[in-house]
Order: sequence, then C-alpha cells, then structure tokens
Amino acid sequence: MFGHDMSWASFHVLEVMSSAKYLQKRVGYLGAVQSFRPDTEVLMLATNLLKKDLTSTSANTMSLPIITLPHIITPSLALSVLSDLLPRLTHSHPTIRKKTIVTLYRLALVYPETLRPAWPKIKERLMDEGEDPSVTSAIVNVVCELGWRRPHDFLPLAPRLFELLVDSGNNWMAIKLIKLFATLTPLEPRLVKKLLPPLTTIIRTTPAMSLLYECINGIIQGGILGSSDESAGGEEIATLCVSKLRGMVMVEGDPNLKYVALLAFNKIVVTHPFLVAQQEDVIMDCIDSPDISIRLRALDLVVGMVSNDNLMSIVGRLMRQLRNSRSPTSEEVNKRVSTGMVEPAADSDDEDPEIAIKNDKGVSQEILLPDEYKVDVINRILEMCSSNNYGNLVDFDWYIDILIQLVRNCPVSRSFLSQDVDSRRGDSSSTDVSGKVGNELRNVAVKVKAIRLQAARAAESILMSTFNDNSASLNPANGALRPIAWMVGEYANSLESPDAALTALLHISKGSVPGEGLVIYIQALPKVFSFLTSEDSAAWTPERKTMISLLMARIIHTLEPLAMHPDLEVQERAVEFAELLKLAAEASAGQAASTSDIQQDSPLLLTQAIPSLFTGVELNSVAVGAQKNVPIPNGLDLDQPINLNLNNLLRAVESASFDEPDQDEFETYYHQAPPPVPSVNEPAINRLGTPEEVVQSYQQGSEESYLDPDIVARRRAERLERNKDDPFYIAPTEISGRSTPLHNILQSNNGPDLDLDAIPIMQLDLEKTKPSTSPPKKTKVSKVRHRIQVAADETLGTSGTSTPQNDDSEASLEVASQRPKPKGKHSLLQVDSSHIGAFSLEDDGSSNGPVDFEAQQREEAEMAKAMKEVERLRLEMQRANERIQAAQGVSLEGTVVKKKTKKKPKTVDADGTVPVVKKKKAQKAVTDEGEGESSMAAEVVKPKKKKKKPKVEEEHGVQEGS
Amino acid sequence: MINAVLVFNNSGQPRLTKFYTQLETSVQQRLISEIFILVNARAPGSCNFLPLPPLLTPTTAPSSSNDVPSLVTYRHYATLFFIIISTSTESPLALIDLIQVYVEALDRLFENVCELDLIFNFETLHAVLAEMVVGGVVIETGLEKVVEGVRAQGKVAKRPVNEGMGGRGPWGPWVVILGGPDGDGE
Repeated sequence: MFGHDMSWASFHVLEVMSSAKYLQKRVGYLGAVQSFRPDTEVLMLATNLLKKDLTSTSANTMSLPIITLPHIITPSLALSVLSDLLPRLTHSHPTIRKKTIVTLYRLALVYPETLRPAWPKIKERLMDEGEDPSVTSAIVNVVCELGWRRPHDFLPLAPRLFELLVDSGNNWMAIKLIKLFATLTPLEPRLVKKLLPPLTTIIRTTPAMSLLYECINGIIQGGILGSSDESAGGEEIATLCVSKLRGMVMVEGDPNLKYVALLAFNKIVVTHPFLVAQQEDVIMDCIDSPDISIRLRALDLVVGMVSNDNLMSIVGRLMRQLRNSRSPTSEEVNKRVSTGMVEPAADSDDEDPEIAIKNDKGVSQEILLPDEYKVDVINRILEMCSSNNYGNLVDFDWYIDILIQLVRNCPVSRSFLSQDVDSRRGDSSSTDVSGKVGNELRNVAVKVKAIRLQAARAAESILMSTFNDNSASLNPANGALRPIAWMVGEYANSLESPDAALTALLHISKGSVPGEGLVIYIQALPKVFSFLTSEDSAAWTPERKTMISLLMARIIHTLEPLAMHPDLEVQERAVEFAELLKLAAEASAGQAASTSDIQQDSPLLLTQAIPSLFTGVELNSVAVGAQKNVPIPNGLDLDQPINLNLNNLLRAVESASFDEPDQDEFETYYHQAPPPVPSVNEPAINRLGTPEEVVQSYQQGSEESYLDPDIVARRRAERLERNKDDPFYIAPTEISGRSTPLHNILQSNNGPDLDLDAIPIMQLDLEKTKPSTSPPKKTKVSKVRHRIQVAADETLGTSGTSTPQNDDSEASLEVASQRPKPKGKHSLLQVDSSHIGAFSLEDDGSSNGPVDFEAQQREEAEMAKAMKEVERLRLEMQRANERIQAAQGVSLEGTVVKKKTKKKPKTVDADGTVPVVKKKKAQKAVTDEGEGESSMAAEVVKPKKKKKKPKVEEEHGVQEGS
Repeated sequence: MINAVLVFNNSGQPRLTKFYTQLETSVQQRLISEIFILVNARAPGSCNFLPLPPLLTPTTAPSSSNDVPSLVTYRHYATLFFIIISTSTESPLALIDLIQVYVEALDRLFENVCELDLIFNFETLHAVLAEMVVGGVVIETGLEKVVEGVRAQGKVAKRPVNEGMGGRGPWGPWVVILGGPDGDGE
C-alpha cells in the first residue's frame, strides 16, 4: 500500500476478504489489490469469493470485487467472472453500472472475447437517452479508450456521440468526445464538416480553458487543420487555433497553459511549420523559462520550426544558455580538480583583469541546469544543424565554431568523479553526447570538402587544448576526442602544425585511456607521422635524419607499453605499428645522411611504403543502409563452413594456449627495442603550437555571448583576412592596440616581410574591387558562403544517391529496428492490449469458429452430450463384462486373481501416473474453458471418468488372464 | 487512461500508491523515488507537469502509441504531493482538475483534511479514489456524487482527537482552494 512488498500475505488477505463485515472486507480487497499478482496461487481460491461477492445483494459489497478486478485480472479469471459481471450492467444502481462498464473494459483488454457479449449491452446503455449522465460519461470514457485501438468499430456510433457533444453540458465528457472524434475523423472525412461548427462555437464561447484546449488539440490531431485547407473555413479555423494558442502562451502567471499550448504547437509543427514559425517570438521566450518542463517542450518545438533564416539565432540562443549555465556536477568536478577555472575559455596564459572580472560575473549569474537538459540541448542543436543533410546550414565556419564550443561545454560525465575506468566505459549518456559532437565535426569534414581545412584545424585545436589545459571536460577518455583524433590523422595534410598534433596524440595515448578511444589514437599516430616524414623532395640532411629518428623513438616509446594493453585491438595495432616503425628506424639509421657532396635519398620505407598504407582512395561517408544493399555474389554460400576442421583447430588452439604466457615473455625479452630517447621538448612545442589563442578581444558582439573569446577572436581575424583587399571594409580600429608582447614576438620571428603584407594598402583600382579579379582566396571563401557542396552519403541502390534516398534508407532502417520493438518489450505501466487489436467485434459469429462465445457454449453442450454417451457405453460394457465373468464361473477365479495381483503393480507403474495427470489436465482445461455451468458439468463428469479408466485396464487384465 | 495515482508527502513517504497495471514492488518503489526527486526539485511557480522520469522514458524514438504513459501531472498541497501518471488519451488540464476534485472530496469528508487523516483512514482515501477512477478510467467527476458514494459505504471515521496539544504539529491543515483554475469540474 505504501510501496512495500506484501505478496507473502496473500493468503491472509484472502481470509480478510471473506469476512462478513463490510469494512473488514473492504480492507481485504485493498490488500488484494496490493498483494495479488497474476502468478499468485491464492488467486485460484479467490475466484469463488469474487463470484460470490459479485452476486451479493448489497451494492457496496458488490462494488468491491468490481473495483478490485481490474488490478488482478488474468484471462482465466476474466473468463470465470464474466458471466457474473454481465448482469451487473443492468443493475438499478448507476454507480454499479458505471463501475461494471469500466471493469468490463479492463477485462476485454486481457480477454477480448469479453466484448462479444458485453458490447451490445454497453451500446444499449450508451444509446439510452434516459440513462444517468454519469454512466453515459463513463461509457464515453471507455469508448474513448477503446476508440483509438479499433476506431472502425465506433464509426457507427458517431451520430449518437455527436448528439452528446452538442447537447450535454458536461465538460469532462465533451473533452473525451473530442478526443474520440479526433481518432475517428481520419477514417471518415465527412465528419469534419459536421464537427467544425460545434467545435468553433465551443472555442469561441466556452469559459473552461481545458475544453478550449482540447478542442484545439482535437482539431489538430484529427487532421482537420490539414484536410480543410482548401475550403474557406480551413484558413479561418487554423488562424483561430493558433491565435488562441498564442494567447495561452502569453498568459502571465499560468505556466500550465504555457505548457499545454506548447504541446499543441508541437503537434501543429509537424504539418504546419510555417504557422508555428510565426509564433517564434513567444516560443523563444519559453526556451529561457525557468521551468524545465516548459523549456523542454519549447526545445522540441524549436527543432521542428527551424529553417535557414532562424537557425543561427536559435542555436545562438541555446548556446548562450549552455554557456551561462553550470551544472552542479561540473562545479563539484571543478572543485575536485581544483584548477579553479570554471570556464575553459580563460585558460590561456594571459591574466587580463578585465577578463577575470567578466568571468566572475559569469559565475555569479550562472543558472543551475541539470546535465540531462544540457545533453538534450546539445543533441537538439546537432539535430537542427545536421537535419536534411545540412540543408538549413548557411555558414559552415560558424558551425565549426559552434562545435568547438560544444565540445568545451559538454557536461562532464558523472563517472569522472569516480576515477574508475570500468564505470567510465559503461557510462554512455554523457560520453555519448561529446562523442556526437565529435562525430558531427568529422561528418562536416568528410562531407563538405570546401570546409575540410577549417574542420581539420578545429580538430587540431581541440586536440591541443586537451594537452594544454587540464580542465576535466577534455579528459583523454572524452568521447569527442575519438573522431577528432581520426580527423587529425586522416587530414594530416591540413594541419597547421602536425608536429604539435603528433605530440598531443602521443600525450593522450596512455594506457589508462579506455580501449575504444586508444584504438583510434594509435591509428592516427602513424598517419601523422607518415605525413611528417614522407616528403620525397626534401633532402636527407643530417638534421632531418636526427629529427625523424627522434620522432620514431618517441612514437615507439609510446606504443611499446600499449602492447600489453588488456584490449586486444589496442595490443594488435600497437604491436603492428611499433614493429613497422622499428623497421623504419633501422632503415633510416642505415641510410647515411647526405652531406654537401654526396646526395642521399631518404629511405624508401619512409617515403613510399608507410605513406602508401594510408593514402589511397578517399574515404567518403556511407549511408546507413548501404551495407545491406550490397548484392551477395553468386556462388557464395554463407552456410557452408569455411574450414571443415574448424572444431579440431579450435580445440588445438585451446590446448596450445597454456604455454602462451611463456612465449610472450620470451618474445618481449628478445625483441626488446633499444631504450627509447625521452622526449624533452614538449613544453616548447606546446607553447609555439597555439599562437592564435594569444589573441584576445574585448569587444562585445552577439556571437561573443555564446562563443569563447578565443573562438571569437579567430573569427574576427579570419574576417579581416577575408576582407583584406576589400576597400569598402572598415577594419576594426583596435587593430593596432591588439598586439600583445607575444604577438610582437611572433611578428619578429616571422620577419619584417610579413608585417608589410599585413598593412592594408588602399588601392583604388576598380578592377581589383570586382569580385571576378579579387584574389583566389576570396572567391573561394565567397563560394563557401553561398553554395557549399555537401556530399551525400554513398549508398548502393536503385534510386540513385540523392539525399532523400539516404534519408529513406535511414528511415527504413529505423522503422525496421522499431517494428519488432513493441512486440518484444512493453513500456513500464503500459497495459498490454495487443490481443484486442486483432479481435473482431463484427457479428460474423459462427464463421469465427471455436473462439466465439456462443459457439463455445454450444460446443460445451455437445461435449456434455458426448460425455453422457461415453458414460452410457461404459456402463453397457461393464455390465457385459460382469456377465462374462459370471458365465466363466468360480473355478477360474483363482488364477484370475493371481494374474491380477501380478499385473497390478505393473499397471500402476506404467499407467498409474499417466491417467492422473491426464485427468487433471482435462479437468483444468474444462474449468478454463467453461463458465459456471460447464465447470459444474466437469465436476459431474470427473468422478465417472475416474472410474472408467481403471475399469478398462481391469478388463484388459481379465482378457489376458483368460 | 490513468496509469497510476500517487500521494506522498514532502519527504517522499508514500501515503497512497495505486497502480492500475501490475508492477513489481521494487519497480514501484523506484518509480516513486524517481518522481519524488523530480517533483521535489520544482520551483513554486512552475507548471504542474513533470518531465518523464528516467524509468518511464521510452528507450526508442517516441512512438505514437497511445498506450505509453506520457504525462506526469502533479499538484502540491501543503505537505502532500498528488501525482497522476497518464497516457496521452487524458487531457492534461482535466487531470489537474481531477486532482482538485479528489482533494476537495477528501476535504469534504474529513473537514479540514490533513496528512494525519490520510494516515489513519487510508481506506477512505482509497474509497474516494475508487469512486472517481476505476481501472484507470475516470468514472465520476462530480464532487457531490463522489462524497455521497463514499458516505454510503459507512461512516467516515474522524482522526483520533488530541488536538489540545498545540495544533497538529508538522502536519497542519492544508488549505484547499475551492474552485479550480477555470472551474469546469462541474
């Protein structure tokens, strides 16, 4: 009752239930609700009590089993109480009638046959004008529940229901009726015309907000909005609905209305996104509501109404939320890690007071948001941007910056708190979302060639930041790093400083990182390495030789310990690449460096062999379903074993694996590499690797409110670069004041030439201002802005490779994966009503055969007749047998008895158990099938049957003996 | 339909749990605690609908089935939370009113109902609910008829009278605001 287990008490509950006092009985029934389960054995005993109480004279007692039945119902129980429940439909007390109706509905859910005898009676109640209104209301509720399961059966009722809707003043019933009609209108479009006038009147006149809301909801759900678009009234009703909903959102001080209005908008947005998009202003206000429920609904909505025009502003708003919020866990994490940096943005080495102040303010203003919400927001942002194969996205540069920011803002997985690798691996929700962000970045890089360079650079900068700052969100185990590491490896030629990237990769390839990530990091290592060393044209100078051998030593040093990693995949890749690099190291050591007089080539292994492992056909994205479309080649028999001797081989391997550890040690002992050269210069590279982060800006822009300062600064620099040659572009005035000491150092390092270039020269050459003659970089950029080629997923199929096809294949895959789901697993609290859908209410009775209720009764009658016949025959045989025995006389009796005694134990052994079981089964089956009379019939039959079996055996014994 | 009706107090102790489908006790307990965590975190001014607790969130993409519980409605009265878990076939605003009717009926029966009344008269609590909801379907929404129905089952016992000792301690009477937000409870 209060959430405690009381299944142990079921028998005692039954005792209390059978008490004669009503109040005690009531408590007993309450206990039954709590303790009885379908597998409770006492349920069998309770059946009779339930039946008895159902036929009680007192209305109170009678209603107890009625209200208890829905909780404990099983198909067999339904069958046995049905006959007692049906007469209660016509009970004089309306309370009993309405309770019975609902209970019958619940019976029908587990035992659909209930409806066959019950439905005509319920319908009769519904049609009865003089019926108590609350009974009618209960019927409507039940019909509404049944309605969506089998709408076809309820279409004939429409006139009566319509009448009820118009005439009755009961708001509760009207709500249900509207809900019911919403499921009926798709089947019968003519209903729409009839329904519209009353619904419009209700919308205009009703004082009850709930009814108003349900009217609008019904109009939306019934597809009335969509179907009546052609007619003149359609437009009117649509605007009426939307304006009412807008009013509901705008209402101050009633968050409930806001919530339900957003729910309704969510339904409209599927069919009429433009109508909802008009309400963008109010909806966007809801996104910032302090109420999480409202926010979530608004979020749902925003995803539906996104378009080219509003994407950036919507995402910007969401990003601002993410950035200005802070989850309780991340706070804890920050305390633990105690770097004290709440915002990763402030990680770079400048300690500007202004920034510090800004951060302080930010911290104080932060709202606490649950991590689940943040994850949801991030998922939605990704969904919005990537929907329709990036169809809504105009500015990919902006998107990449958003992704970088998202990686930083990803909620920290809770399992980071406990530094347990296993739990971290098991936890999927949070690593998942950062992984998704990373995947997005990779998708952009793969699909959009024009932006690949920027994407690779972004990946690089994220990778660097893991190495530079110790903020917890960029732990090497972070899911985002996997795709990012892959990008760094695959597009190594786009990297700004591959050297630094390699260092960062080496840094994160540690044994403590989960295997799934490590596999990818290890794979990226040789890719970057091969890019660094493969320049064919570069001379094999002594510097180069030392540099490369140093690099190889560092990589080998990292890989070697990973050869012992528990993850097999990691082991394999680490060993492979370590051995390959050892070979390369030998080769480069053997190749003497070229001196001033002798020109030496770089070793072929470095320039040809290793790069050829990784360069080849470009990798493209493949549609989700494409693999399934690959035709199976002729002559491929997947059922045929590849090696007939497989089992023996496996056994051999198993027995051989005992001495494997020894071999392992042996191997490592003899194939130990020369002691690796420790890397010493990491900090230096690190400092030089990220010069761009030095540039800071203080300008308050719209993007700044959600992007970290360094990203904003980079964007500005890029813009400047892009518009360098545009005489009409007014460069920001602070350009001169922006130089920080480090900036100066860089400039001086780069030499004076670069500085000269950077000075904007105003050339009033008209030719130059024309886009056609502007420098190639600019044209490229402008092309990027306007029409970016987004590569579609590659797929094999008949209908081409267009994006819709891709979507189709994904959709079909989803559908395919979803379809078996409802069968296999039910949601918690869900009523299993799968049988009722297959059940037919139409009165084609006899054709349905044995399942039919009446037919069943008929069959039982036949069965009883047959039993009587059998009984008669048996008696005849018995009499005949007696006659034979009498005729054979007394002389033979002795031997017969002897034989009998011999035979008896045998028959009992062989058959004794079997007939008992059979009898039980038969009895059970009969009681299961039958209702009152039939079970009685079974009882009548039972003892006779018992007699019959041994008799037959006796006869056998006698005949054999004689 | 209505999947469950729960009543628990401010510290999460259940006072009434009614699940209209059969459910393991351990799952029930988990669900109650999950909902309590959600409901306890709500700010006073926020709306009466909860996001679905983790136990109820569909594992796959949201299906259109009407069978899945999709709505958690709650109301907070002084020390007690009233929660209804329902599918999409119920109207959210109507459910809020339903809770209101339930509480008003209790108030009518106990006269200034308080948490203690519900502890000592749990049968009445269940009886009132049984007059309104059977098997997850709403059968009666009229306040008068509900009260009448419960009274017909016998006298409603009053709480043990020991009010001399300084009011009712932590379980003060909870004020019932008569008349719902839009008064469509008949």
